[in-house]
Amino acid sequence: MITFIIRRLITMVFLLVVVSMITFGIFFLIPRLAGQNAYELAAQYVGRNPTRSAILQMEAKLGLNDPLVVQYWRFLKGIVVGAHYNDGPSQTYCPPPCFGYSFRSQQPVWPQMMAALPVTVSLAIGAAILWVVGGVAIGVLSALRRGSIFDRFTMAVALAGVSLPIFFTGLISLELFSYKWPLFPNVQWVPLTTNPALWARNLVLPWITLAFLYAALYARLTRAGMLETMNEDFIRTARAKGLPERKVVFRHGLRAALTPILTIFGMDLGLLLGGAVLTESTFSLPGLGQFTILAIQNQDFPEIMGVVMLAAFFIVVANMLVDILYAVVDPRVRIT
Amino acid sequence: MAMLEVRDLRVQFKTDDGLVRAVDGLSFDVERGRTLGIVGESGSGKSVTSLAIMGLHRGKGTDISGQVRLDGEDLVSASADRVRHLRGSKMAMIFQDPLTALHPFYSVGVQIMEAYRVHNNVSKQVARKRAIDLLARVGIPQPAVRVDDYPHQFSGGMRQRAMIAMALCCDPELLIADEPTTALDVTVQAQILDLIVDLQAEFGSAVIIITHDLGVVAEVADDVLVMYAGRAAEKGSADDVFRRPMHPYAWGLLGSMPRLDVARVDRLRPIPGTPPSLINVPPGCPFHPRCTYPAQVGGDKCRTEIPLLLDTGMGHQAACHLSVRQRQEIWAQLAPEPSEPGTAIPADIVPATTPEPGEPSEVEA
Amino acid sequence: MRKRKALAIAACVAVTGLGLGACSSSTSSSSSSSTPSSSTSSGSSPSASSSSSASGVSAAFNAANTNIVNPSTAKGGTLTFADSSTPDSFDPGNTYYAWTWNFSRLYATPLVTYKSCPGTCGLQLTPGIATGLGTVSDNGLVWTYHLKQGLKLSDGETITSTDVKYAVERTYDRSVLENGPTYFPVLLADPTYPGPYKDRSKNLMGLTSVTTPDPYTIQFHLQHPFPDFNYVVAIPQTAPVPPDKDTGANYQLNPVSSGPYMFQSYSLNKQAVLVDNPNWTPNEDPQAAQLVSKIVIDLNVNADDIDNRLMAGDIDIDAAGTGVQAAARAKILSNPTLMKDSDDALSGFLWFAYINTKVAPLNNVACRQAIEYAADKTEQQTAYGGPYAGGDIASTVMPPNIVGYQKFDYYNALSQPSGDLTAAKAALKTCGQPNGFTVGLAYRSDRPKEVQAAQSLQAALARVGINVQLHGYPSGTYYSDFAGSPNYVHQHDLGIDMGGWAADWPDGYGFLDEISNGNAIAPAGNTNIEELNDPVVNNLFAEATKTTTAAQETAIWPKIDMQIMKDAAILPEVYAKSLLYRNPAVTNVYVQDYYGMYNYAVLGVSSTS
Repeated sequence: MITFIIRRLITMVFLLVVVSMITFGIFFLIPRLAGQNAYELAAQYVGRNPTRSAILQMEAKLGLNDPLVVQYWRFLKGIVVGAHYNDGPSQTYCPPPCFGYSFRSQQPVWPQMMAALPVTVSLAIGAAILWVVGGVAIGVLSALRRGSIFDRFTMAVALAGVSLPIFFTGLISLELFSYKWPLFPNVQWVPLTTNPALWARNLVLPWITLAFLYAALYARLTRAGMLETMNEDFIRTARAKGLPERKVVFRHGLRAALTPILTIFGMDLGLLLGGAVLTESTFSLPGLGQFTILAIQNQDFPEIMGVVMLAAFFIVVANMLVDILYAVVDPRVRIT
Repeated sequence: MAMLEVRDLRVQFKTDDGLVRAVDGLSFDVERGRTLGIVGESGSGKSVTSLAIMGLHRGKGTDISGQVRLDGEDLVSASADRVRHLRGSKMAMIFQDPLTALHPFYSVGVQIMEAYRVHNNVSKQVARKRAIDLLARVGIPQPAVRVDDYPHQFSGGMRQRAMIAMALCCDPELLIADEPTTALDVTVQAQILDLIVDLQAEFGSAVIIITHDLGVVAEVADDVLVMYAGRAAEKGSADDVFRRPMHPYAWGLLGSMPRLDVARVDRLRPIPGTPPSLINVPPGCPFHPRCTYPAQVGGDKCRTEIPLLLDTGMGHQAACHLSVRQRQEIWAQLAPEPSEPGTAIPADIVPATTPEPGEPSEVEA
Repeated sequence: MRKRKALAIAACVAVTGLGLGACSSSTSSSSSSSTPSSSTSSGSSPSASSSSSASGVSAAFNAANTNIVNPSTAKGGTLTFADSSTPDSFDPGNTYYAWTWNFSRLYATPLVTYKSCPGTCGLQLTPGIATGLGTVSDNGLVWTYHLKQGLKLSDGETITSTDVKYAVERTYDRSVLENGPTYFPVLLADPTYPGPYKDRSKNLMGLTSVTTPDPYTIQFHLQHPFPDFNYVVAIPQTAPVPPDKDTGANYQLNPVSSGPYMFQSYSLNKQAVLVDNPNWTPNEDPQAAQLVSKIVIDLNVNADDIDNRLMAGDIDIDAAGTGVQAAARAKILSNPTLMKDSDDALSGFLWFAYINTKVAPLNNVACRQAIEYAADKTEQQTAYGGPYAGGDIASTVMPPNIVGYQKFDYYNALSQPSGDLTAAKAALKTCGQPNGFTVGLAYRSDRPKEVQAAQSLQAALARVGINVQLHGYPSGTYYSDFAGSPNYVHQHDLGIDMGGWAADWPDGYGFLDEISNGNAIAPAGNTNIEELNDPVVNNLFAEATKTTTAAQETAIWPKIDMQIMKDAAILPEVYAKSLLYRNPAVTNVYVQDYYGMYNYAVLGVSSTS
């Protein structure tokens, strides 16, 4: 097991390096291939109506004229060792992992990402609990009552949940429960440490919107998995042993049906931690998703790099944990 | 009173295609300490019978009628809870493929312990000891170590032994084994069968072995029940049924086996035709479309009248319109010349298997 | 001077920088305001007018354009702003948007500022931390200001002239503070000063063109006379910054306050919270008020969400001040209740097209006039958003609320808004192109409205045979490299170039000089894109710098405007307007013409909110 983990960690580092190179390439090479040069890129960061000399100054300051390899090396060095920046009267040290300073606001990227992370984590984890509990419960019940009104109804709702985009359900919920009937007025982020009650209250609508989509998916998956599992031979054996039906369904049936769902959950959560873009934009939550969108709109390279790497990190770690989890849960998979 | 008395058991499934008559009026007894072998092709209703006895049929479209008396208590009319209580404790079942029949995520020990603790209120330690004892009893080496192994870590034969151990954990008085050796190699088969015989001798339980393998039946059964299309075709002691079969179907089964003690023939003699659909069971005798003897019965009897299970002498029963005399004569002609008297069916040759539906069976001209 | 792109300063009739004057009502504003409001006499703060006000009115559509809506002196409460993105910076020395300049009044007071009052009144300059508007000496080369004594910053220190000098100095280093206008390096005598971050000498006081003979006097030495200099020091860049508290690029996170409020916290990209500045007195800036106890501004809020929350009463003001989005606009205009809480305000912006005077055949004035006649003004108005969100059809270069505006219409833009095709064809004949001609048109491709306007213009001109070829450019480098480079314009025959303009200060000079003065033509970053070099216009500008009274100077601007239009050098399209919504719970709400949005420095909230 230890060697397995170590090997995966090495792969992870390698993967992150590749991701960084590709992102770097997309950001710098492709515009260049399309004809945009460093001068035009720098013009976007200088403020309004810049003079030519101001643009050139910005170009030099951001190092946009250096060869791409040098720029990439500088970026890598910053992550590992940190960097020094001139903020005017003094020099500030940006400790590793230093994703540099935002081209636009001259503020360091890493603290901005770390400030956005709790928002995304709150959103993701809260929604995750809702959708796992809700989705699995409904899926189990639907499977047990296959063909009943309950089953048909919930699966129809689940189909809607999977098909409707988040910005649609989110906007509807805002319109109804925030603007029209002020059950949740002024949905905005309040840190957990500042006011736990308000933190939770403001997150209810985003949680439900996000969870609705995933719960629908998980309900259908659980139902399908349960139907398949309950037809397995070991279920018949469990009944033959005289076990009460509840134990048969949960200890034997659900336990087996849940393993693929558990692994999907790990992946979903990993992806979501990189930023729930649509939900955050709809509800104006300042998490990593919103940060990503703004970084891309502003063509702010250090910020883009930062979020891409962070999101990639989450996904890779989630994958690794899922692999380990699968081995823990399913003894047939273990390498002994 | 026999341990198990089945009277006129009918099991029907309502499906989209029609009403499936899986078991259509079956009656038999199983005595304590004796083994009944139920033989038949796939679709003859043998597994359905065993599941019906255990009360394992579910679903809204299932109709079960008749009586199934276990030690005097009727299970068909009993509450589901009562039947569940008896399952695993008084009556137990082992299944065909132990790899899929055991839960892959729990160790064998845990599964045995679970079976034990459902019916006995004991601590985990006591249950674990019981599991280890059982594993030892069924012949698994190093039981204290292997009790924590998972099913996939056992070989096929060991797995089946473990399943048997699990079935026996609560000392059942009736053990049903549904195709216990089909998934195993030949050498292992013999061991498992020996084990079952030993355990029966030790615990005195009634055993039902369901199989399509005549060799297995010959090996271990005291009594034999031949099923066809959900009904009993022939019933009697193993000796009677194998030496003096009284039903054309049984003739076909026995005749279609390759034999070492007979002069070699160019072809096997399979039974022509395929087993009938259980939705549209042929009228009259269900076997008549494949039988070569309806003409000898005379008239349309085979096609219009259902033959009853009638005594042919000393507890040996068969359901056929041919007279007993006729059948004895026909069998005398069909029975192959044994190389030694009294050994019509050698016990230690490779057993043949009855043709499965889908396997090509030539229709004799 | 630099242009203001989107949100900008609206201007009304105003006095010039040379002295205080009564609010002039001779040149009235256009249709948007009914009567010029002289509700507040010069120098009084909004709070004084509250209880007695003949000026205060209750909510009605467009009421805040000319009156104070919901006047009140009630204190307390929290005022909530929301912005759909983030400010370029909260550092008063490093920002260049109308709304941030407006918002900065809450915590930064420049030497000189604008009077806080609705209507044309709000274009008058009045002292901020200075005792009066500047005094000129040395043939117009030296401007002197005296500071009020005893004024304190939020950290408790007294405001002295070195604080003001340092504030100006730090804007010179564009490698640290890259936003913000660049008037000082252009006007002052020491243009090569590198800024205090690079020049640490003389106690960080290395800018020689600004002198501080004593702690309460500051003098600016100019390269050449500039009568509008008072306007320049009204920019937030002169709000005091103590040298020892300056953190350069990080100063935006917590600037020291010289206004009624100060920063309590600022989470980048999320939210800033301001609280009362205990060291502020109304004497420091009578144009601002300290009514609420807390101000919150939420950043990066979805734009439609802002509108919905405004209408639901969850937030008070949309900070950007450019009007509601299309969905809310539809709701408001169809709902009388909502409509009475909204105002369609002139933003002071003009959307227009430059008609280059050098690219053939547009070097012939008649060909240019053909374009003026043939353009479809209604389509232009639609392209920019229609009458409420786009604005009013324009016939002059200066919008109605600039000093010097006079209404005239040489090309029937108002009487025949779809275009006067007969006159256009006649003009084509006159210039020798009876069947039309081909010409290139430059526009900014990342601005959807401008794209649509360019396409409408192409379609409109095609009606008389003028074949327009469209060329789109990125807005970031539009002025520095494309339309703003005469060479490029000539090489690519870009006879028509789309643009938008608002002045950094609200008089004719501020509005017209850079876009029509022959001296303003530059080889790069050119804003006189039509390359107008008309001696009549140039002489009028020269004359203006020599005038001595406000009335004299004001009389010159419309003449320049008319001459530009006679030269058909500019095709005016729309006087921009924005549909603003005000939360009924907010008090003292009115449009400050200089910003084209509500005055943020005087707001309060009523106790029922």
